Amino acid sequence: MGIKNFVGVPDSTMKHFIEEGIVKKKIIFTTREEEAIGICTGMALSGEPSLVFMQNAGFANSLSTITSLVELYKIPLVLLIGWRGFLKNDAPEHEKIGKIQPELIKSLDISSRILDENNWEKNCVWAIKNNSQGKLCALIMKRDFVD
Amino acid sequence: MIRKQAMKQIVNSVDTEIIVSANGYISRDLFNVKDQQENFYMIGSMGLASSIGLGLAMKNPKKQIFVFDGDGNILMNLGSLTTIGSIRPKNFVHVIFDNSSHESTGGQPTNSNLVKIDEIAKDCNYNKVFLIKTNIELKKILLKIKKIDGPIMILIKIKKGGNIGNRISIKPEKIKERFMNTLK
Repeated sequence: MGIKNFVGVPDSTMKHFIEEGIVKKKIIFTTREEEAIGICTGMALSGEPSLVFMQNAGFANSLSTITSLVELYKIPLVLLIGWRGFLKNDAPEHEKIGKIQPELIKSLDISSRILDENNWEKNCVWAIKNNSQGKLCALIMKRDFVD
Repeated sequence: MIRKQAMKQIVNSVDTEIIVSANGYISRDLFNVKDQQENFYMIGSMGLASSIGLGLAMKNPKKQIFVFDGDGNILMNLGSLTTIGSIRPKNFVHVIFDNSSHESTGGQPTNSNLVKIDEIAKDCNYNKVFLIKTNIELKKILLKIKKIDGPIMILIKIKKGGNIGNRISIKPEKIKERFMNTLK
């Protein structure tokens, strides 16, 4: 069991996760986040648990794809979303989306968990369970560092 | 040639292969030409039929995967050509019905007659790209593609028009369920 495919657009919030995926040859990079959702939909239709990784800017790009494809057909996907704008002093282009992100996720009725150092393992198990039950869910990774 | 004619010709030639069809009139035409469980009608998410087809092609290497795309659709997700051309699935056949317009929304023009989608696909490492203008050419190519590896693009220049049949009457979740059963 577990996730077989990892498709998305990189985000510095999760760069170590992505590096690990590259080493294990499990990562596919796409040009946009909607494209990644489309590819993972094809994989999920083939019965394989699949995850789309993206920054929250890309999550905002994907709203219509989530409502008119993933939710409409009830495609089981795990979204891993990097939360830029979580810190007040993050770069200015992330400020607004970082602020409205929790509301967006709520409006789309996506069940989600925010990962931290203590709960990440439990929440990953939660996501895999949701996926095996055919549900969409999201794991949120906070950008709690500034570089 | 209009879309429905070209589509009939392809569907009769490919029999029960997997088809992912783009939203709008393309999915509607496919539904009315030949509804079968091997069809995945993508009724929303414009632009993504080729991406869904790529995911399917990678996970079902023994099946040939057809994508029925439109010019408006592929122009909305041109990046998809670069991903397909990088992964190069041998079982991927990308059909584009190109009428240089968004016919489903009232026939407004696209830029597909001002740029060369076939040349873009070649530059993106598609294995073979065919530009088709007549039924006779299409017939020849449909025989030919049975023997060559993908990714293949068949860009078919069509005219607008033809009667648009009924909307797809199957619920999205049902489209998914029966489609997934064919892949098992």
